[in-house]
Amino acid sequence: MFPYEQATWDVVDGAMFQLWGTSMPGIFTLIAALICVLVLVVGQRTETEKAKRFD
Amino acid sequence: MEEQLAELAAKIAELEATSAGAAVTNTMFAETFYYLTIPLMIIIHAGFLAYEMGASRLKNVLSSGVKNILAFAFMIPTFYFFGWWVYWGFPTGFPGAPGPAGISGVEYANSIALGWGDAAQYMGPNIADQASGVFFGAFALFAATTASIMSGAVIERIQTVGFIILAVVLGSFAWVVAAAWGWHADGWMVTKWGVHDFGAAGLVHAVAGFFALGVLINLGPRIGKFNPDGTANHIAGHNMPLTVTGLMLIIVGFFGFLMACVIVPGEGWSWFADKPATIYGTPITLSALAFNILMAIAGGIIGAWVITRDPFWMMSGALAGIISTASGLDIYFPGLTFIIAFSAGLILKSCADWLERRGIDDAVGAVTVHGTIGLYGVIMLGVWGSGYPALQGAAGDAPTISLIGQIIGAAVFFLCGFVPGYIVSYILKMFGMLRIREGAEIAGMDIVKVPAHGYPEWGPKAPNAAE
Repeated sequence: MFPYEQATWDVVDGAMFQLWGTSMPGIFTLIAALICVLVLVVGQRTETEKAKRFD
Repeated sequence: MEEQLAELAAKIAELEATSAGAAVTNTMFAETFYYLTIPLMIIIHAGFLAYEMGASRLKNVLSSGVKNILAFAFMIPTFYFFGWWVYWGFPTGFPGAPGPAGISGVEYANSIALGWGDAAQYMGPNIADQASGVFFGAFALFAATTASIMSGAVIERIQTVGFIILAVVLGSFAWVVAAAWGWHADGWMVTKWGVHDFGAAGLVHAVAGFFALGVLINLGPRIGKFNPDGTANHIAGHNMPLTVTGLMLIIVGFFGFLMACVIVPGEGWSWFADKPATIYGTPITLSALAFNILMAIAGGIIGAWVITRDPFWMMSGALAGIISTASGLDIYFPGLTFIIAFSAGLILKSCADWLERRGIDDAVGAVTVHGTIGLYGVIMLGVWGSGYPALQGAAGDAPTISLIGQIIGAAVFFLCGFVPGYIVSYILKMFGMLRIREGAEIAGMDIVKVPAHGYPEWGPKAPNAAE
Protein backbone atom coordinates (compact mmCIF):
# COMPACT_ATOMS: atom_id res chain seq x y z
CA MET A 1 0.00 0.00 0.00
CA PHE A 2 2.38 2.63 -1.29
CA PRO A 3 0.89 6.01 -0.43
CA TYR A 4 1.66 7.64 -3.77
CA GLU A 5 0.08 7.12 -7.18
CA GLN A 6 3.31 6.15 -8.93
CA ALA A 7 5.30 3.25 -7.50
CA THR A 8 8.60 5.10 -7.50
CA TRP A 9 10.61 6.73 -4.75
CA ASP A 10 11.25 9.76 -6.96
CA VAL A 11 7.80 11.15 -6.11
CA VAL A 12 8.20 10.73 -2.34
CA ASP A 13 8.93 13.98 -0.56
CA GLY A 14 7.33 13.46 2.82
CA ALA A 15 5.54 10.78 4.82
CA MET A 16 6.23 7.37 3.35
CA PHE A 17 4.50 4.88 5.61
CA GLN A 18 1.64 2.64 4.54
CA LEU A 19 -1.73 4.21 3.88
CA TRP A 20 -0.56 7.75 4.59
CA GLY A 21 -3.37 10.09 3.60
CA THR A 22 -6.09 7.66 4.66
CA SER A 23 -7.69 7.12 8.03
CA MET A 24 -5.76 3.88 8.60
CA PRO A 25 -2.79 5.33 10.51
CA GLY A 26 -5.23 6.79 13.02
CA ILE A 27 -7.04 3.48 13.25
CA PHE A 28 -3.73 1.67 13.86
CA THR A 29 -2.95 4.12 16.66
CA LEU A 30 -6.40 3.62 18.18
CA ILE A 31 -6.08 -0.18 18.04
CA ALA A 32 -2.63 0.00 19.64
CA ALA A 33 -4.02 2.17 22.44
CA LEU A 34 -6.99 -0.15 22.94
CA ILE A 35 -4.63 -3.13 23.18
CA CYS A 36 -2.75 -1.38 25.98
CA VAL A 37 -5.96 -0.66 27.91
CA LEU A 38 -7.39 -4.14 27.34
CA VAL A 39 -4.19 -5.81 28.44
CA LEU A 40 -4.19 -3.78 31.65
CA VAL A 41 -7.80 -4.74 32.38
CA VAL A 42 -7.11 -8.43 31.78
CA GLY A 43 -3.86 -8.24 33.71
CA GLN A 44 -5.52 -6.64 36.75
CA ARG A 45 -8.33 -9.18 36.74
CA THR A 46 -6.14 -12.28 36.50
CA GLU A 47 -3.58 -11.03 39.00
CA THR A 48 -6.31 -10.25 41.54
CA GLU A 49 -7.84 -13.69 41.08
CA LYS A 50 -4.48 -15.34 41.67
CA ALA A 51 -3.72 -13.18 44.69
CA LYS A 52 -7.05 -14.11 46.28
CA ARG A 53 -5.94 -17.73 46.43
CA PHE A 54 -3.43 -16.70 49.07
CA ASP A 55 -5.96 -14.95 51.35
CA MET B 1 38.59 46.00 -11.10
CA GLU B 2 41.68 44.07 -10.09
CA GLU B 3 40.73 44.47 -6.46
CA GLN B 4 37.27 43.09 -7.15
CA LEU B 5 38.74 40.12 -9.01
CA ALA B 6 41.10 39.41 -6.15
CA GLU B 7 38.21 39.64 -3.71
CA LEU B 8 36.18 37.25 -5.84
CA ALA B 9 39.09 34.80 -6.08
CA ALA B 10 39.49 34.92 -2.31
CA LYS B 11 35.79 34.20 -1.84
CA ILE B 12 35.96 31.25 -4.25
CA ALA B 13 39.00 29.88 -2.43
CA GLU B 14 37.16 30.27 0.87
CA LEU B 15 34.11 28.45 -0.51
CA GLU B 16 36.29 25.65 -1.89
CA ALA B 17 37.99 25.28 1.46
CA THR B 18 34.62 25.16 3.22
CA SER B 19 33.35 22.61 0.74
CA ALA B 20 36.45 20.43 1.15
CA GLY B 21 36.07 20.72 4.92
CA ALA B 22 32.42 19.67 4.69
CA ALA B 23 33.39 16.68 2.55
CA VAL B 24 36.01 15.63 5.10
CA THR B 25 33.48 16.04 7.89
CA ASN B 26 30.91 13.94 6.03
CA THR B 27 33.46 11.21 5.32
CA MET B 28 34.57 11.20 8.93
CA PHE B 29 30.93 11.09 10.05
CA ALA B 30 30.19 8.17 7.74
CA GLU B 31 33.21 6.25 8.95
CA THR B 32 32.41 6.96 12.60
CA PHE B 33 28.75 6.03 12.08
CA TYR B 34 29.63 2.46 11.08
CA TYR B 35 32.56 2.23 13.48
CA LEU B 36 30.21 2.86 16.40
CA THR B 37 27.81 0.15 15.27
CA ILE B 38 30.58 -2.39 15.92
CA PRO B 39 30.80 -2.01 19.73
CA LEU B 40 27.03 -1.62 19.85
CA MET B 41 26.69 -4.98 18.13
CA ILE B 42 29.26 -6.51 20.46
CA ILE B 43 26.69 -5.71 23.14
CA ILE B 44 24.42 -8.18 21.34
CA HIS B 45 27.11 -10.77 21.83
CA ALA B 46 27.52 -9.80 25.49
CA GLY B 47 23.77 -10.21 25.84
CA PHE B 48 23.76 -13.66 24.28
CA LEU B 49 26.66 -14.61 26.54
CA ALA B 50 24.76 -13.63 29.69
CA TYR B 51 21.53 -15.10 28.36
CA GLU B 52 23.07 -18.51 27.60
CA MET B 53 25.03 -18.72 30.80
CA GLY B 54 21.96 -17.84 32.83
CA ALA B 55 19.92 -20.44 30.96
CA SER B 56 22.51 -23.13 31.71
CA ARG B 57 22.54 -25.23 34.83
CA LEU B 58 25.35 -24.52 37.25
CA LYS B 59 27.38 -27.50 36.03
CA ASN B 60 27.44 -26.09 32.49
CA VAL B 61 27.56 -22.35 33.02
CA LEU B 62 31.15 -21.66 31.96
CA SER B 63 31.23 -24.12 29.08
CA SER B 64 28.20 -22.34 27.61
CA GLY B 65 30.07 -19.06 27.94
CA VAL B 66 33.30 -20.45 26.44
CA LYS B 67 31.37 -21.76 23.46
CA ASN B 68 29.84 -18.37 22.82
CA ILE B 69 33.15 -16.53 23.19
CA LEU B 70 34.84 -18.92 20.77
CA ALA B 71 32.03 -18.46 18.25
CA PHE B 72 32.82 -14.75 18.20
CA ALA B 73 36.56 -15.38 17.96
CA PHE B 74 36.29 -17.74 15.00
CA MET B 75 33.61 -15.74 13.24
CA ILE B 76 35.73 -12.64 12.75
CA PRO B 77 38.73 -14.22 10.96
CA THR B 78 36.66 -16.63 8.87
CA PHE B 79 34.42 -13.79 7.77
CA TYR B 80 37.61 -11.95 6.84
CA PHE B 81 39.04 -14.97 5.00
CA PHE B 82 35.98 -15.76 2.87
CA GLY B 83 32.62 -14.52 4.25
CA TRP B 84 33.06 -10.97 2.98
CA TRP B 85 34.10 -12.36 -0.43
CA VAL B 86 31.00 -14.57 -0.61
CA TYR B 87 28.74 -11.57 0.06
CA TRP B 88 30.10 -9.59 -2.89
CA GLY B 89 30.62 -12.58 -5.14
CA PHE B 90 27.23 -14.24 -5.40
CA PRO B 91 24.26 -11.82 -5.31
CA THR B 92 23.11 -12.98 -8.75
CA GLY B 93 23.42 -16.60 -7.68
CA PHE B 94 25.96 -19.19 -8.71
CA PRO B 95 28.45 -19.06 -10.45
CA GLY B 96 28.73 -15.37 -9.53
CA ALA B 97 28.00 -13.28 -12.61
CA PRO B 98 28.09 -9.48 -12.29
CA GLY B 99 24.76 -7.78 -11.53
CA PRO B 100 23.16 -4.64 -13.02
CA ALA B 101 24.34 -2.32 -10.23
CA GLY B 102 27.95 -3.22 -10.97
CA ILE B 103 28.87 -4.06 -7.39
CA SER B 104 28.72 -7.82 -7.44
CA GLY B 105 30.12 -10.95 -9.04
CA VAL B 106 33.16 -13.08 -8.42
CA GLU B 107 35.38 -10.76 -10.43
CA TYR B 108 34.25 -7.77 -8.37
CA ALA B 109 34.69 -9.71 -5.12
CA ASN B 110 38.17 -10.75 -6.22
CA SER B 111 39.05 -7.07 -6.64
CA ILE B 112 37.91 -5.85 -3.22
CA ALA B 113 37.39 -8.65 -0.73
CA LEU B 114 40.44 -10.91 -0.61
CA GLY B 115 43.25 -10.66 1.91
CA TRP B 116 45.94 -11.05 -0.72
CA GLY B 117 47.00 -9.61 -4.09
CA ASP B 118 45.66 -6.26 -5.31
CA ALA B 119 42.41 -6.68 -3.40
CA ALA B 120 44.35 -6.59 -0.12
CA GLN B 121 44.50 -2.78 -0.40
CA TYR B 122 40.80 -2.77 0.60
CA MET B 123 41.33 -5.31 3.37
CA GLY B 124 43.75 -3.37 5.54
CA PRO B 125 44.88 0.14 6.53
CA ASN B 126 44.55 2.48 3.54
CA ILE B 127 44.43 6.26 3.90
CA ALA B 128 42.36 6.50 0.71
CA ASP B 129 39.71 4.06 1.93
CA GLN B 130 37.66 5.06 4.96
CA ALA B 131 34.78 2.70 4.25
CA SER B 132 35.85 -0.91 3.68
CA GLY B 133 37.02 -1.64 7.21
CA VAL B 134 33.96 -0.28 8.97
CA PHE B 135 31.60 -2.01 6.52
CA PHE B 136 33.52 -5.24 7.01
CA GLY B 137 33.32 -4.79 10.78
CA ALA B 138 29.57 -4.25 10.75
CA PHE B 139 28.99 -7.28 8.55
CA ALA B 140 31.34 -9.42 10.65
CA LEU B 141 29.22 -8.55 13.68
CA PHE B 142 26.05 -9.56 11.80
CA ALA B 143 27.83 -12.87 11.26
CA ALA B 144 28.67 -13.15 14.95
CA THR B 145 25.01 -12.52 15.77
CA THR B 146 23.91 -15.48 13.66
CA ALA B 147 26.37 -17.74 15.47
CA SER B 148 25.14 -16.49 18.84
CA ILE B 149 21.54 -17.23 17.89
CA MET B 150 22.41 -20.86 17.17
CA SER B 151 24.67 -21.06 20.20
CA GLY B 152 21.88 -20.70 22.76
CA ALA B 153 19.75 -23.46 21.28
CA VAL B 154 22.40 -26.17 21.63
CA ILE B 155 23.76 -25.55 25.13
CA GLU B 156 24.62 -28.24 27.63
CA ARG B 157 25.39 -31.14 25.26
CA ILE B 158 27.37 -30.02 22.19
CA GLN B 159 31.09 -30.53 21.62
CA THR B 160 33.17 -27.38 21.37
CA VAL B 161 34.95 -27.98 18.06
CA GLY B 162 31.81 -29.35 16.39
CA PHE B 163 29.98 -26.23 17.50
CA ILE B 164 32.69 -23.94 16.14
CA ILE B 165 32.56 -25.67 12.75
CA LEU B 166 28.79 -25.17 12.70
CA ALA B 167 29.17 -21.53 13.73
CA VAL B 168 31.62 -20.89 10.90
CA VAL B 169 29.36 -22.55 8.32
CA LEU B 170 26.43 -20.47 9.53
CA GLY B 171 28.16 -17.15 10.14
CA SER B 172 30.66 -17.06 7.33
CA PHE B 173 28.67 -18.85 4.66
CA ALA B 174 24.95 -19.72 5.10
CA TRP B 175 23.61 -16.34 6.16
CA VAL B 176 26.07 -14.58 3.83
CA VAL B 177 24.57 -16.38 0.84
CA ALA B 178 21.09 -15.36 2.02
CA ALA B 179 22.30 -11.76 2.44
CA ALA B 180 23.89 -11.71 -1.01
CA TRP B 181 20.64 -12.93 -2.56
CA GLY B 182 18.17 -10.87 -0.54
CA TRP B 183 20.07 -7.95 0.97
CA HIS B 184 22.07 -6.53 -1.88
CA ALA B 185 21.02 -4.23 -4.72
CA ASP B 186 22.06 -6.95 -7.18
CA GLY B 187 20.53 -9.79 -5.17
CA TRP B 188 18.42 -12.00 -7.43
CA MET B 189 15.61 -12.21 -4.90
CA VAL B 190 15.45 -8.41 -4.85
CA THR B 191 15.74 -7.76 -8.57
CA LYS B 192 13.42 -10.61 -9.61
CA TRP B 193 10.92 -10.83 -6.76
CA GLY B 194 11.14 -7.52 -4.93
CA VAL B 195 12.11 -9.18 -1.67
CA HIS B 196 12.55 -6.54 1.03
CA ASP B 197 14.06 -7.36 4.41
CA PHE B 198 15.47 -4.09 5.72
CA GLY B 199 16.36 -5.25 9.23
CA ALA B 200 17.31 -8.84 8.32
CA ALA B 201 14.35 -10.66 9.90
CA GLY B 202 14.77 -13.41 7.35
CA LEU B 203 18.36 -13.34 6.23
CA VAL B 204 19.86 -13.15 9.72
CA HIS B 205 17.21 -14.31 12.20
CA ALA B 206 15.31 -16.91 10.22
CA VAL B 207 18.45 -18.33 8.63
CA ALA B 208 20.13 -18.68 12.03
CA GLY B 209 16.97 -19.98 13.71
CA PHE B 210 16.36 -22.71 11.16
CA PHE B 211 20.05 -23.57 10.93
CA ALA B 212 19.75 -24.22 14.68
CA LEU B 213 16.70 -26.43 14.04
CA GLY B 214 18.69 -28.53 11.55
CA VAL B 215 21.42 -28.94 14.15
CA LEU B 216 18.98 -29.74 16.98
CA ILE B 217 17.43 -32.60 15.01
CA ASN B 218 20.81 -34.34 14.81
CA LEU B 219 22.04 -33.23 18.22
CA GLY B 220 19.06 -34.54 20.16
CA PRO B 221 17.64 -33.35 23.48
CA ARG B 222 19.50 -32.99 26.78
CA ILE B 223 19.40 -36.01 29.05
CA GLY B 224 16.28 -35.72 31.15
CA LYS B 225 14.47 -33.28 28.90
CA PHE B 226 11.87 -35.77 27.69
CA ASN B 227 10.10 -38.57 29.55
CA PRO B 228 9.62 -42.02 28.01
CA ASP B 229 6.06 -41.07 27.07
CA GLY B 230 7.37 -38.08 25.11
CA THR B 231 6.25 -35.39 27.53
CA ALA B 232 8.78 -32.63 28.20
CA ASN B 233 10.36 -31.55 31.46
CA HIS B 234 11.34 -27.95 32.05
CA ILE B 235 15.09 -27.70 32.64
CA ALA B 236 15.52 -24.43 34.47
CA GLY B 237 18.68 -22.40 34.02
CA HIS B 238 20.66 -21.47 37.11
CA ASN B 239 20.15 -17.70 36.92
CA MET B 240 17.01 -16.19 35.45
CA PRO B 241 18.01 -12.58 36.30
CA LEU B 242 21.22 -13.02 34.29
CA THR B 243 19.24 -14.40 31.36
CA VAL B 244 16.74 -11.55 31.42
CA THR B 245 19.50 -8.96 31.69
CA GLY B 246 21.23 -10.63 28.75
CA LEU B 247 18.08 -10.34 26.70
CA MET B 248 17.88 -6.65 27.53
CA LEU B 249 21.49 -6.22 26.39
CA ILE B 250 20.59 -7.87 23.09
CA ILE B 251 17.85 -5.27 22.69
CA VAL B 252 20.39 -2.49 23.30
CA GLY B 253 22.70 -3.97 20.71
CA PHE B 254 19.95 -4.18 18.17
CA PHE B 255 19.88 -0.42 17.91
CA GLY B 256 23.43 -0.74 16.57
CA PHE B 257 22.51 -3.69 14.36
CA LEU B 258 19.65 -1.79 12.72
CA MET B 259 21.66 1.42 12.51
CA ALA B 260 24.25 -0.53 10.55
CA CYS B 261 21.55 -1.42 8.03
CA VAL B 262 21.41 2.25 6.97
CA ILE B 263 23.55 3.67 4.16
CA VAL B 264 24.60 7.20 5.07
CA PRO B 265 24.42 9.95 2.40
CA GLY B 266 26.96 12.10 0.69
CA GLU B 267 29.78 9.64 -0.02
CA GLY B 268 30.93 8.19 -3.32
CA TRP B 269 29.37 4.86 -2.36
CA SER B 270 26.13 6.38 -0.96
CA TRP B 271 22.80 5.94 -2.69
CA PHE B 272 21.87 9.59 -2.21
CA ALA B 273 23.73 12.85 -1.70
CA ASP B 274 21.20 14.22 0.73
CA LYS B 275 19.33 11.43 2.48
CA PRO B 276 20.06 8.08 4.11
CA ALA B 277 18.99 4.89 2.39
CA THR B 278 18.44 1.22 3.06
CA ILE B 279 20.83 -1.31 1.58
CA TYR B 280 18.37 -1.50 -1.34
CA GLY B 281 18.74 2.20 -2.04
CA THR B 282 15.27 3.09 -0.81
CA PRO B 283 15.04 6.11 1.50
CA ILE B 284 14.95 5.74 5.28
CA THR B 285 15.54 7.89 8.34
CA LEU B 286 16.95 7.06 11.75
CA SER B 287 13.78 8.67 13.10
CA ALA B 288 11.77 5.93 11.41
CA LEU B 289 13.90 3.40 13.26
CA ALA B 290 13.50 5.19 16.59
CA PHE B 291 9.70 5.24 16.26
CA ASN B 292 9.37 1.69 15.12
CA ILE B 293 12.00 -0.17 17.15
CA LEU B 294 10.66 1.28 20.39
CA MET B 295 7.05 0.46 19.50
CA ALA B 296 8.11 -3.04 18.45
CA ILE B 297 9.87 -3.72 21.75
CA ALA B 298 6.84 -2.51 23.69
CA GLY B 299 4.34 -4.47 21.61
CA GLY B 300 6.35 -7.68 21.89
CA ILE B 301 6.75 -7.43 25.65
CA ILE B 302 3.06 -6.72 26.21
CA GLY B 303 1.97 -9.56 23.93
CA ALA B 304 4.21 -12.05 25.72
CA TRP B 305 3.17 -10.76 29.15
CA VAL B 306 -0.50 -11.38 28.42
CA ILE B 307 0.18 -15.02 27.62
CA THR B 308 3.04 -16.01 29.91
CA ARG B 309 3.71 -13.52 32.76
CA ASP B 310 7.22 -14.92 32.58
CA PRO B 311 10.12 -12.42 32.36
CA PHE B 312 12.10 -14.79 30.13
CA TRP B 313 9.31 -14.87 27.59
CA MET B 314 8.55 -11.17 28.03
CA MET B 315 12.09 -10.23 27.07
CA SER B 316 12.02 -12.84 24.33
CA GLY B 317 8.82 -11.06 23.29
CA ALA B 318 10.79 -7.82 23.02
CA LEU B 319 13.17 -9.55 20.64
CA ALA B 320 10.26 -11.10 18.78
CA GLY B 321 8.69 -7.65 18.50
CA ILE B 322 11.76 -6.28 16.77
CA ILE B 323 12.24 -9.35 14.59
CA SER B 324 8.60 -9.52 13.50
CA THR B 325 8.77 -5.96 12.21
CA ALA B 326 12.42 -5.80 11.14
CA SER B 327 11.70 -6.34 7.44
CA GLY B 328 9.64 -3.15 7.27
CA LEU B 329 11.01 -0.88 9.99
CA ASP B 330 11.78 1.62 7.23
CA ILE B 331 8.16 1.98 6.12
CA TYR B 332 5.83 0.75 8.87
CA PHE B 333 3.65 3.18 10.73
CA PRO B 334 4.37 2.98 14.50
CA GLY B 335 0.80 2.01 15.41
CA LEU B 336 0.96 -0.88 12.96
CA THR B 337 4.42 -1.84 14.22
CA PHE B 338 3.00 -2.12 17.72
CA ILE B 339 0.14 -4.33 16.54
CA ILE B 340 2.41 -6.70 14.57
CA ALA B 341 4.89 -6.92 17.45
CA PHE B 342 2.04 -7.56 19.90
CA SER B 343 0.79 -10.40 17.74
CA ALA B 344 4.32 -11.87 17.65
CA GLY B 345 4.48 -11.72 21.44
CA LEU B 346 1.12 -13.48 21.64
CA ILE B 347 2.09 -16.43 19.43
CA LEU B 348 5.65 -16.83 20.68
CA LYS B 349 5.18 -19.28 23.53
CA SER B 350 2.70 -21.48 21.72
CA CYS B 351 5.10 -21.76 18.75
CA ALA B 352 7.88 -22.83 21.13
CA ASP B 353 5.57 -25.35 22.83
CA TRP B 354 4.58 -26.77 19.45
CA LEU B 355 8.22 -27.39 18.63
CA GLU B 356 8.88 -28.96 22.01
CA ARG B 357 5.98 -31.37 21.57
CA ARG B 358 7.80 -32.64 18.49
CA GLY B 359 10.80 -33.65 20.55
CA ILE B 360 13.01 -30.65 19.81
CA ASP B 361 14.96 -29.42 22.84
CA ASP B 362 15.66 -25.79 22.02
CA ALA B 363 17.09 -24.63 25.34
CA VAL B 364 16.37 -20.93 24.84
CA GLY B 365 13.60 -20.83 22.25
CA ALA B 366 15.95 -19.61 19.52
CA VAL B 367 14.25 -21.50 16.71
CA THR B 368 10.95 -19.87 17.58
CA VAL B 369 12.11 -16.37 18.45
CA HIS B 370 14.48 -16.01 15.51
CA GLY B 371 13.35 -18.63 13.01
CA THR B 372 9.57 -18.74 13.16
CA ILE B 373 9.10 -15.11 14.08
CA GLY B 374 11.71 -14.09 11.49
CA LEU B 375 9.69 -15.71 8.72
CA TYR B 376 6.50 -14.25 10.21
CA GLY B 377 8.11 -10.82 9.91
CA VAL B 378 9.17 -11.34 6.30
CA ILE B 379 5.65 -12.41 5.33
CA MET B 380 3.96 -9.64 7.35
CA LEU B 381 5.73 -7.10 5.18
CA GLY B 382 4.20 -8.80 2.15
CA VAL B 383 0.78 -8.30 3.74
CA TRP B 384 1.28 -4.67 4.74
CA GLY B 385 3.94 -3.36 2.37
CA SER B 386 2.78 -4.62 -1.01
CA GLY B 387 3.15 -2.06 -3.75
CA TYR B 388 6.24 -0.36 -2.36
CA PRO B 389 9.18 -0.13 -4.80
CA ALA B 390 11.67 -2.68 -3.51
CA LEU B 391 14.73 -1.05 -4.96
CA GLN B 392 15.94 2.28 -6.21
CA GLY B 393 19.12 3.26 -7.92
CA ALA B 394 21.60 2.06 -10.49
CA ALA B 395 19.89 -1.29 -10.92
CA GLY B 396 17.09 0.44 -12.85
CA ASP B 397 13.54 -0.90 -12.89
CA ALA B 398 12.75 -3.16 -10.01
CA PRO B 399 9.66 -5.01 -8.91
CA THR B 400 7.55 -3.84 -6.02
CA ILE B 401 7.19 -5.59 -2.69
CA SER B 402 4.51 -8.28 -2.86
CA LEU B 403 3.11 -11.06 -0.71
CA ILE B 404 4.24 -13.73 -3.15
CA GLY B 405 7.73 -12.23 -3.31
CA GLN B 406 7.99 -12.18 0.48
CA ILE B 407 6.74 -15.78 0.72
CA ILE B 408 9.39 -16.84 -1.80
CA GLY B 409 11.96 -14.92 0.22
CA ALA B 410 10.81 -16.63 3.42
CA ALA B 411 11.10 -20.07 1.79
CA VAL B 412 14.61 -19.34 0.51
CA PHE B 413 15.72 -18.00 3.90
CA PHE B 414 14.35 -21.13 5.57
CA LEU B 415 16.27 -23.37 3.18
CA CYS B 416 19.48 -21.30 3.46
CA GLY B 417 19.41 -22.02 7.18
CA PHE B 418 17.91 -25.45 7.61
CA VAL B 419 19.68 -27.35 4.81
CA PRO B 420 23.30 -26.53 5.72
CA GLY B 421 22.51 -26.81 9.43
CA TYR B 422 21.08 -30.30 9.00
CA ILE B 423 23.72 -31.57 6.55
CA VAL B 424 26.80 -30.29 8.37
CA SER B 425 25.55 -31.44 11.78
CA TYR B 426 24.71 -34.84 10.28
CA ILE B 427 28.29 -35.14 8.99
CA LEU B 428 29.69 -34.07 12.35
CA LYS B 429 27.48 -36.66 14.03
CA MET B 430 28.84 -39.35 11.71
CA PHE B 431 32.37 -38.46 12.78
CA GLY B 432 31.45 -38.35 16.47
CA MET B 433 32.08 -34.60 16.70
CA LEU B 434 28.61 -33.33 17.51
CA ARG B 435 27.46 -34.48 20.91
CA ILE B 436 29.47 -34.78 24.11
CA ARG B 437 29.75 -38.23 25.65
CA GLU B 438 26.93 -39.21 27.99
CA GLY B 439 29.08 -39.46 31.10
CA ALA B 440 30.48 -35.99 30.56
CA GLU B 441 27.01 -34.55 29.96
CA ILE B 442 25.78 -36.02 33.23
CA ALA B 443 28.87 -34.93 35.17
CA GLY B 444 28.64 -31.43 33.75
CA MET B 445 30.43 -29.83 30.83
CA ASP B 446 32.39 -27.40 33.02
CA ILE B 447 34.30 -30.22 34.71
CA VAL B 448 35.20 -31.61 31.29
CA LYS B 449 35.90 -28.46 29.32
CA VAL B 450 36.82 -25.59 31.63
CA PRO B 451 39.63 -25.38 34.21
CA ALA B 452 37.69 -22.87 36.30
CA HIS B 453 34.52 -22.66 38.39
CA GLY B 454 31.61 -20.36 37.71
CA TYR B 455 31.02 -19.87 41.41
CA PRO B 456 34.29 -20.92 43.05
CA GLU B 457 33.27 -20.13 46.64
CA TRP B 458 30.65 -22.86 46.37
CA GLY B 459 33.21 -25.38 45.07
CA PRO B 460 32.14 -28.95 44.43
CA LYS B 461 29.31 -28.60 46.94
CA ALA B 462 27.47 -26.17 44.70
CA PRO B 463 23.87 -27.20 44.16
CA ASN B 464 23.59 -29.18 40.92
CA ALA B 465 27.34 -28.90 40.33
CA ALA B 466 27.31 -32.54 39.35
CA GLU B 467 23.95 -34.21 39.32
